[in-house]
Amino acid sequence: MRLLIVEDEPALLEMLARQFRSAGFAVDLAADGVEGEFSGKEYPIDIAVVDLGLPGMSGLDAIRAWRKAEKSFPVLILTARDSWQEKVAGLDAGADDYVTKPFRFEEVLARVQALLRRSGGWSQPLLTSGIVELDTRSQEVRVAGTPVELTAFEYRLLEYLMLHAGEVVSKTELTEKLYEQDFERDSNTIEVFIGRLRRKLDPDGDRQPIETLRGRGYRIARD
Amino acid sequence: MARSTQSLQVRLLVTLALLLLAAAGVAAWALDSMYRDLGLRARQDVLEAQVIALIASADIDAEGRLVPENLAEPRLAASGSGLYAEIVSSRGSWRSPSALGSGLNLAATPATGERRFEYARLADSSRVLGLSLGIRWVLEDGSSRDFIIRAAESLEPWYEEVARVRAWLLSGSIVLGVLLLAGLAVAMRVALKPLHQLETEIADIEAGHRELLGSGWPRELAGVTGNLNALLAGDRKRLERYRTTLGNLAHSLKTPLAALRGLIESGHTDRESNLRQLDRMQEIVQHQLKRAVFGGTGATMTDLPVQEPLEQLRGALAKVYNDKSPRMAIAVAQDTAYPVDIGDFLELAGNLMDNACKYCRSEIAVRAMPWTSADWRRPGLLMDVEDDGRGIPPSERSRVLERGARADESVAGQGIGMSVAREIAAAYSGTLEIGESRLGGARVSVRLPGR
Repeated sequence: MRLLIVEDEPALLEMLARQFRSAGFAVDLAADGVEGEFSGKEYPIDIAVVDLGLPGMSGLDAIRAWRKAEKSFPVLILTARDSWQEKVAGLDAGADDYVTKPFRFEEVLARVQALLRRSGGWSQPLLTSGIVELDTRSQEVRVAGTPVELTAFEYRLLEYLMLHAGEVVSKTELTEKLYEQDFERDSNTIEVFIGRLRRKLDPDGDRQPIETLRGRGYRIARD
Repeated sequence: MARSTQSLQVRLLVTLALLLLAAAGVAAWALDSMYRDLGLRARQDVLEAQVIALIASADIDAEGRLVPENLAEPRLAASGSGLYAEIVSSRGSWRSPSALGSGLNLAATPATGERRFEYARLADSSRVLGLSLGIRWVLEDGSSRDFIIRAAESLEPWYEEVARVRAWLLSGSIVLGVLLLAGLAVAMRVALKPLHQLETEIADIEAGHRELLGSGWPRELAGVTGNLNALLAGDRKRLERYRTTLGNLAHSLKTPLAALRGLIESGHTDRESNLRQLDRMQEIVQHQLKRAVFGGTGATMTDLPVQEPLEQLRGALAKVYNDKSPRMAIAVAQDTAYPVDIGDFLELAGNLMDNACKYCRSEIAVRAMPWTSADWRRPGLLMDVEDDGRGIPPSERSRVLERGARADESVAGQGIGMSVAREIAAAYSGTLEIGESRLGGARVSVRLPGR
């Protein structure tokens, strides 16, 4: 999952970036509204976390600009003032949910995951496809009820595919979404990880939970 | 404009003085010309009477002159009396004894039956009004002869009287004008006294000697003083709230601060314990901030139509409660508006609708309508927010409304939305009540009075 954080307070920005990375996100950072607006328009992000009080361009204006440019990724706003006037302004501008400062990271993460599930059409934190179950809260994966150990990158890959269950996801999309902007990319890496994931989810090779569509990408079936 | 700082009283008095001057001038001119007209007519009547009296008493003398046989008017006999007469003809003329040496010099020579008035000057340059009448006298032998009969009267005594009347008119107008202006000044002092009183009372308020303006203001000022009082009361309420909030904040931060200090001083480095205290402090700050946001008093507010902010809240809450997607019905009576700060209204309705969404099973309903009363010029507002949740049992209701009202009370995990809503309603002198909804859950009724 590729996440954009727009926040002008460096300490908070850094803290959020570190915590989201360790939660398995590819994180893009912007320290002001102008940069944030640019990143949101130019990079293929899945979700944005935006502070409303920003120097240069306000968070509200950045969100409006994205929506005007028909960017439909979910947006979570961080508000310092716990007032409905500010919440309404933010949600009206095109944001999807809010968290009031000060907050615990767990709360922000839970909201972000809920928004991602929602944008993928899932209404529950438990994503299922056949015998594969993925719990976005605990980040646990089970196959036929048995827990499966995945590396951070493998988990991110599976989560992305399951959030987009039923859709064909191209290799390019996966590299874009799972790596940060400045990351060294190698298109073969995705194939390698898909191979590992298949072996872990389906050691016997008889279920084939991840379908390959030649020249187009991968797909996980939606129940 | 620089002049606008000038006293109202001075401006009014100067304008009125100019008006009075103009009015007095016109009145004096009218009186004067009327008096002169009447006076002239009277003088002319006198002269005509004299001429007729002369004709009546006249007869032809031996030399063929026409001569009055006796002088009925004694002034004609006395020299320099101011009344003169003469009768002239081609055969010679007669003059009254009064005219001797006067230099009377009337020039008009009217034809028979004609009369002419004229102004002339005597030798001493005094002015006279003269009347000349042409007559034809029929003699005993049947022949006839033409005469001109003249009478003149000095105008000097009359002119003196005119001058006296004018002087009297002038001084009378001045006295009247001064009296009127003085009366006006007094009347204005009396009329403007409440303004001075207002000034004094405002100064007293500034100095802290009084809190509000008194009552019993004249109708013209009642609106202003009423609004000023509402503004002052709102200001004071707000100040009190700030004080309370600050006091509560400082007071309630003491405990976790002391705990944190104790933990650190005792060398306690348990991360979780420290974090717990920090969390507590965060909660306290957030909680007090939420209580301090609203603006209060509706004295200077313009009417806010409530439909749109309610729709905005519905849009916002639909996103926040996307997973639950409750049905949100909003019914607002036409033209429902209330003088409330938009932020306050969003906070009030937002907290109530948020709670309803949180506790409902699948639907909430909001109704708003004007609250009218004969005592109010502007209507109040009635608003109900209902849900189909489990409701709030009567025994819990007051606790819910008071929740978080005391800052040192633990608020962990407890919403203070309802008590914040109640405080906002109270800031507008309104009430908030919890009851049962026909949907099955809680109904929160807000009543904000009109003014």
